[in-house]
Amino acid sequence: MGNDLRNKADNFRDKTVMISLQSVSKSFPRSQETLPVLNHISLDIYQGEILAVLGPSGCGKTTLLRQIAGFDKQDSGSVRMDGQEVVKPEVKRMMIFQDFNQLFPWKTVLQNVLFPLQVNRIGESDAANREIALQYLQLVELSGFEDSYPHQLSGGMKQKAAMARALALQPKVLLMDEPFGSLDALTRLSLQDLLLKIWQETGVTIALVTHDIQEAINLSDRIAVMGRRGVAGFKEIIPNLLDRPRVVGGGGYSEIYAQVYSLMDFRNENE
Amino acid sequence: MKNKDSYGKKTKTRLLWIIVFLVIWETIAQSRTFPEAIFPSLPVIAKALGDSVVSGEILLQTGWSLALILQGLLVGLAAAVLLSSLAVRSRIFDGLVDTLTAIAHPLPGIALLPLIIIWFGTGTLAILVIIVHSVIWPMILNITTGFRAIPPIYKETGLNLGLNQVRIIKDIMIPASLPYVLSGIRIGWARAWRALISAEMIFGAVGLKGGLGWYIFKQRVFMDTPGIFAGLFVIVLIGIVVEDCVFAAFEERTVKKWGMI
Ligand SMILES: Nc1ncnc2c1ncn2[C@@H]1O[C@H](COP(=O)(O)OP(=O)(O)O)[C@@H](O)[C@H]1O
Ligand SMILES: [Mg+2]
Repeated sequence: MGNDLRNKADNFRDKTVMISLQSVSKSFPRSQETLPVLNHISLDIYQGEILAVLGPSGCGKTTLLRQIAGFDKQDSGSVRMDGQEVVKPEVKRMMIFQDFNQLFPWKTVLQNVLFPLQVNRIGESDAANREIALQYLQLVELSGFEDSYPHQLSGGMKQKAAMARALALQPKVLLMDEPFGSLDALTRLSLQDLLLKIWQETGVTIALVTHDIQEAINLSDRIAVMGRRGVAGFKEIIPNLLDRPRVVGGGGYSEIYAQVYSLMDFRNENE
Repeated sequence: MKNKDSYGKKTKTRLLWIIVFLVIWETIAQSRTFPEAIFPSLPVIAKALGDSVVSGEILLQTGWSLALILQGLLVGLAAAVLLSSLAVRSRIFDGLVDTLTAIAHPLPGIALLPLIIIWFGTGTLAILVIIVHSVIWPMILNITTGFRAIPPIYKETGLNLGLNQVRIIKDIMIPASLPYVLSGIRIGWARAWRALISAEMIFGAVGLKGGLGWYIFKQRVFMDTPGIFAGLFVIVLIGIVVEDCVFAAFEERTVKKWGMI
C-alpha cells in the first residue's frame, strides 16, 4: 500500500533516492509486553529535497529519525543510504535535535563549530578550519556571537549554532527533529526562512520532523503524514508543489492544508 | 555579579568573626588564667611562626607535605577517572568497582595504617598509598555519578560529529561531568589532607623531612605549645587558601563561566 501512495508523487520519479527505508520495524520493551512503534515503514528520501515528516505526538517520528541517523538499531527491515546499510551515526547524516542542550556548554559558539572540523580534519590547517567555521556562523547569521558561551544565547541562536556546526561538516543530509519546536512563534518563522535560505545555498537534503502543519507546508517538497503509533505507518506522502516563497492563504495553500489536516490523527496517543 | 557580592559578604562576615575570636583568645591569654605553656598569647604564637618561617623549617615541612599530597591527588584522580570510565561502560566492571568502593570507602585511611606499615613500611610510598586510598573512593563515587548524569544528547552528538571513544571520554564526558569531578576532588583533597597529617605524626621523619604533621608532633615533644599552634595555623591557612582560592578560582573559570552550575 505504501508503494502505491509513493508513486502518486509523480514529479519525484526522476529524482535520485538518497536514503531508503525498507519495511523498518521497531518496538521498545515495556515492563510486561513490548511497545510496537514503527511497523513495517518504507520510505525514500530524495537527493536535495526537503521532506517533512508530520504526525501526532508519540507516533514515532523521533524513533524513525533515530533509525535513519543510526543511533538505534531497527528490529527488522533495512535503512540504506546510497546503497549502504546504516549501522552507526556518521558525519554525512547530521542530526539536529529539538533540545537546546545539543551544543557543548563548555565550548564557545566558535569552538563548538570548530572542534568537529578539527576532529574530522576538514580544513587543511587550523586557520582553514577557523575560516570554515566563521563562514558557516555567518551563513546562520550568528556573526558577532563567536565567543559567547551557549548559556548566553537565546533558544533560537542555539539552534542556529547547532545548524552551523552540522552544516560546516558538509553532511549529505540534515535530520531535524522538531528543531524549532521549542521556539516562540516569531523566532520559529524567522528560523524557517533561514533554513530555506541555507537549503538553497548549500543544496543539502533535509528530513524535517514536525508536528506543525504550516511549518511542513512552508518548507517541504513532500509531506509524509504518519498515523497513530505502531499501526498506521505513513498514511500518505503528499507532494507539496506550491511556488516559493509560500504564504499562508496563497494559491493552493488552503487546499493542501485541508488535505494534510484531514489525514492527521488527533486522538490521544494512549488510546 | 550577584555571586561576587555574596562572596565578598561571606568573606567580611568571616573576617569579623575571626577578629572576635582572636580578641577573646588574647583576653584569656593575658588574664593568665592558664599557664603560658598551655595557653600562649597571640604574639608568642606569631613569634614561633615567624621564627620557624625564618629558619625555613615550617616552609620545608609544608612544601614536603604539599608535594606528597599533590602526587597522591594526581595518581588518585587518574585512577578514579580510569575506573569510572570502565564502570560506566561495562556491567562487569561496574559491579567490581561498586563492590570495591562499598568496601573501601568507609575505611578511614588511618585505620589502614598498621597494615600499610607492614606492607609498605613507613616511607613516602606508604604515605602515598594512604593519600591515594583517601582520594580515590570518594572521587570514583562522584565521577561515576557525574558520568551517569550526563545528558545522552552530548554523547550522541559527539558520536554524530565523528568523535571516537577516547575523545568521547576526554572531550565530552569529562567536561560534561566537571561539576561532579570537582566536588570529588574537593572531598578527596580534604580527606587526603587529614590522612596525610595523621600519617606524618605516626611515621615521623624520613631523614630531615617529616612533613607538617611531624612538625606539629615534634613540638609537643619539646613542650613547644606556640610551635604547635603555629603548625595548626599553617594547616588552617592552607585549607582556606586551597578551598577559596584554588578550587573557587578554578570553578569560576570553568563550570561557572560555562553556566553549568
Ligand atoms: N528509548 C525508548 N524506550 C522506550 N519507549 C520509547 C523510547 N523512545 C520512544 N519510546 C516510545 O515510543 C513512542 C514514540 O516515541 P517518539 O518516537 O519519541 O514519538 P514522537 O517523536 O512522534 O513524539 C512513545 O510512546 C514513546 O514513549
Ligand atoms: Mg519526538
